[in-house]
Amino acid sequence: MPERGRLARLMRSEGVWLFSRSPAAILAAIVTVLIVAGALMAPWIAPTNPYDLASFSLFDGLLPPAWEEGGDPRFLLGTDDQGRDMLSAILYGARLSLSIAAMAMAVALVLGVGLGLAAGYLGGRFDAVVMRIADVQLALPAILTALLIDGISRGLLPRDLHDDLRIAVITLAIALSLWVNFARTARASVFVERQKDYVQAAIMMGQHPLRIMARHILPNIVGPLLVIATVDLASAILLEATLSFLGVGLPADSPSLGTLIRIGMQYLLSGEWWILWMPTVFLVVLVVAINLLGDFLRDLFNPSLR
Amino acid sequence: MFNRKIPAAAMALSTTVLLALPAAAETFRWAGTTDPQTMDPHAVNATPVLSFLNNVYEGLVRRGPDMSVQPSLATSWEALPDGAGWRFNLREGVTFHDGSAFDADDVLFSYERGVSEPSDVRSWFASVTDVVRVNDYAVDFLTSAPNPLFPGSIANFMIMDEGWATENGAALPAREAETHATRNANGTGPFMLDARDPGIETRLVPHEAWWDTAEHNLTEAVFTPIGNPATGLAALLSGEIDFISPIPLQDVEQVEQRDGFKVLAGLETRVIMLGFGHDHETLKYSEETTDENPFLDPRVRLAVAKAIDVETIDRVIMRGAAEPASQLLPEGLSGYSEEHSERPEFDPEAARALLEEAGYSDGFSFGLMCPNDRYINDEAVCRAVASMLARIGIDANVNAMPVRGYWDELRAGNFDMYLLGWSPGTFDAEHPVRFLAHTPTERLGTWNFGGYSNERIDALLAPIQSEVDPVARQVMLDEVAGILQEEVAYVPLYTQPLIWAMKENVDVVQRPDNFFMLRWVTVN
Amino acid sequence: MVGFILKRLVQSVFVMLAVAFLAFSLFRFVGDPISQMTGVETSLEDQARLREDLGLNDPYFVQFARFTGDMLRGDFGYSFRTREPIGEMLLSRLPATLELGVVALLVSLVVGIPAGVYTALRPRGILSQTILVGTLIGVSIPTFVIGILLIFLFGVQLGWLPTFGRGGTVEIGWWRSSLFTAEGWRSLVLPALTLGLFQLTLTMRLVRAQMMEVMRTDHIRFAIARGVPWRSIRYRHALSNTMIPVITIIGLQFGGVIAFSIVTESVFQWPGMGLLFLESIRFVDIPVMSVYLVVIAFFFVLINLLVDLLYVAIDPRLRVRESV
Repeated sequence: MPERGRLARLMRSEGVWLFSRSPAAILAAIVTVLIVAGALMAPWIAPTNPYDLASFSLFDGLLPPAWEEGGDPRFLLGTDDQGRDMLSAILYGARLSLSIAAMAMAVALVLGVGLGLAAGYLGGRFDAVVMRIADVQLALPAILTALLIDGISRGLLPRDLHDDLRIAVITLAIALSLWVNFARTARASVFVERQKDYVQAAIMMGQHPLRIMARHILPNIVGPLLVIATVDLASAILLEATLSFLGVGLPADSPSLGTLIRIGMQYLLSGEWWILWMPTVFLVVLVVAINLLGDFLRDLFNPSLR
Repeated sequence: MFNRKIPAAAMALSTTVLLALPAAAETFRWAGTTDPQTMDPHAVNATPVLSFLNNVYEGLVRRGPDMSVQPSLATSWEALPDGAGWRFNLREGVTFHDGSAFDADDVLFSYERGVSEPSDVRSWFASVTDVVRVNDYAVDFLTSAPNPLFPGSIANFMIMDEGWATENGAALPAREAETHATRNANGTGPFMLDARDPGIETRLVPHEAWWDTAEHNLTEAVFTPIGNPATGLAALLSGEIDFISPIPLQDVEQVEQRDGFKVLAGLETRVIMLGFGHDHETLKYSEETTDENPFLDPRVRLAVAKAIDVETIDRVIMRGAAEPASQLLPEGLSGYSEEHSERPEFDPEAARALLEEAGYSDGFSFGLMCPNDRYINDEAVCRAVASMLARIGIDANVNAMPVRGYWDELRAGNFDMYLLGWSPGTFDAEHPVRFLAHTPTERLGTWNFGGYSNERIDALLAPIQSEVDPVARQVMLDEVAGILQEEVAYVPLYTQPLIWAMKENVDVVQRPDNFFMLRWVTVN
Repeated sequence: MVGFILKRLVQSVFVMLAVAFLAFSLFRFVGDPISQMTGVETSLEDQARLREDLGLNDPYFVQFARFTGDMLRGDFGYSFRTREPIGEMLLSRLPATLELGVVALLVSLVVGIPAGVYTALRPRGILSQTILVGTLIGVSIPTFVIGILLIFLFGVQLGWLPTFGRGGTVEIGWWRSSLFTAEGWRSLVLPALTLGLFQLTLTMRLVRAQMMEVMRTDHIRFAIARGVPWRSIRYRHALSNTMIPVITIIGLQFGGVIAFSIVTESVFQWPGMGLLFLESIRFVDIPVMSVYLVVIAFFFVLINLLVDLLYVAIDPRLRVRESV
């Protein structure tokens, strides 16, 4: 049976073997799984729902973590200035941040690689146009893209829709600032791979371009793409935090990790350290884990690197 | 003039011991979040500009530490008979920074300049029909109706040197392109502009020939804008700057505890309040109530007022630095109504009862518009308000946005409820009535976004403006305050705190209009 | 070759036009400039007149055409906020951003490339692991948090370095440089570090990845088999092959540096173009925003052109392709 065979092969594959040999990768994987699972299951495992305005009260504001003096066991990691439970806020926030980052990166990947491959392969005017669009894209810093998209949506859409679409707006803005990396790398790799004899041969034999791209070119650029992808996933998360810092991120009533950090920044020196450091440490751990996993994946896809 | 009662909080005066000899040379470095955008005193009517330029230019009158109106370039003034206007007697022997003498021609010129089209201070002279030169040192301002508050209302009207301005092509304020007066200054004030690097650094040096005695001991004053509050705080704590305004409320304790620094916490003349859409027939941001506007019912508005616990907002979000407000202007300002100094008591039960009475026992949802970078902790306050209202069953959907787009949205009526902060430019109760309570017209009620309208208040405005007898005036103002409270036209929340932080050896005077006067600064 | 350059330059003009158009048509959504230029007491009448005088009531096509026409004539317009000529404003801020960007880029290259090579050649060494983990953590913290932390650590706690601004500057013609004074360099350290950190890590990891890949390719193996000295292999063969994608990335890096410099300049109150842009957004200073974007677009186009030229110069195979 094919399934059993495949699974068995997977279990015996070098990848799994490598994985089991690398403690860093295992640790990173565990952490990532925990965080992602926690984030995804936030609605079920979080003590409170920080998005429900009636569920928290100002009276509970600025309480330190439960183990500190003045802490309240109801709020394990303390509360923020509005009285929201930090633990719940972080879990929900991570959920939001991860969703946005993942979606943004996916969009950027598909868009970028697609355009890059096409541009590299087809060359000529198409290539020129795509590259110039890339230039335009690079010229618009992410903050401006986010501002402009936000502004357009604010101006063109009915109010209630606009608020719901804030998430889509941020995702689009981040994706737009990331796709160029993918495109340029894909395009550059196409140039290099195309020159190789076997590719030339395939072209001459009349193989369909898509097939050539899929069989000969894509596999060779998976490595660099993966590196960029993981860095970009981490970038997306950080970019979202930065956009919040600059004031164009998600609103504070449905905060992402970035928004929580921005709120926390106001308390940097004032003694309520947990409002900043809880989400920041969480974010850093998450991003480090993603990067480590990315490293591992890249090594995995490159047999020559063992 | 009129009696002004100043509460102790508003008068955070730091007294200096004047030594027989001034201390050695002192460079004073100070910072704020906003750079004054121009050095032209008639170009922009905004606090960052006027506050800064009050050190370089002067007006006919000026305000003292307790906001009282004092002589400046005018030594005295008297009302003309029959309320025809005011005569100002000018000070002799005053020189501008470039050495030219000050006289009535400069006042006339500055007036013409101030009411010209590109000027942003024209509104100060709305009641002025003409300005007449009586002699070299006396000028008459003729008004269309008696205007008892006029002298105080032009405290920020700064006099420029006719010769210098015309010679340098600055006879009119800049409209599109800058003029010489945009980056240069020639005033009569205690400090001269030495260097101007917009957005980066501005340097002032003392004017040796100033007509008044200097109470400061500075030899140089340098202003740098620092936009990021954390960076600003760091700059103060590292000693690179001597003074910064404002610092975030939550950092006050830390700064006070550190050796070598201190905080001046007072009250600004700004009241933060909630406004309603009085001319909205339906809610615009409700999820279910789309065919009516519950806020049209005064009981619902009163319920909102009773549901908000301003004391807790003050304690938690404002760290106790704010003062609950009952009217559209803070206590202590001229025209404040003692009669109506009680705000609705926090009583969620009563609030819910009122809602039921009005037929909204099921509650409703609506949109609350809020700026997120204009007032101290504005967004946090809105969210607190929203969560308090949620407790009585009405769900606010908070939409916090940067102030650069905020006024547009409010003017377009895109709100069900909104947050607003108001600081009366004349420090008198007539100001908020004129801008916030009068039915909106071309020139009146221009910040009355909700279109609140009451015939009686409209009728009282003009008499208030021209009433000379302070007692009669206060009676009318009391009546207005009473109507506003009864109808819950707005829900005043609190008076905003004013937080200045500085090195311990710096003594300053904090005025509630947030104007920073270098002439009262001593570095010990 | 010349034809290639000319073609690219023409395309660049189109790019800048496109950016300007996009920006222009969307700026009205950023906010209302009039409320930023006038006070609270300004009458509606006066506000309306100002709006009319500044041409803000015209359809954006008209405004855009006016803008482009002016720029082509060298007239960059005036800031809504300070009424300064924008060309002058940008020129006065340009040196700050460029100096910061170049120093940050240098830091990232000077440290990043050798670090990448080292960690590729000795992947299991302790130093390699430390470098990798350390930079990993450093790059996982948002830039603005790093910036603020550095400010408080080195500026406030230790008091070693300035917390904001550029320090002492020296004017060489119109170029105001902070590279000639000790104070200027001290002010440059923290911002350059903050800005360069991300780029440094990216460069290092990419160089490492490329290097490791190239080391295993056939022609390296053949070279080893042929007995070519290890050292020669390392530097001549492996490194030069590594450089192609790396150069591409460096080109992108500079772009990233410009983009990230906005945040860094904001945190350190560094008087560069990024801060100017940020403030122009805050005050809805539309002319400044528009000119800034066009100028930035020009920079990127220039950089990309240079990168492509370098590319072609390094890899002869590509020369044939480009001419086809």
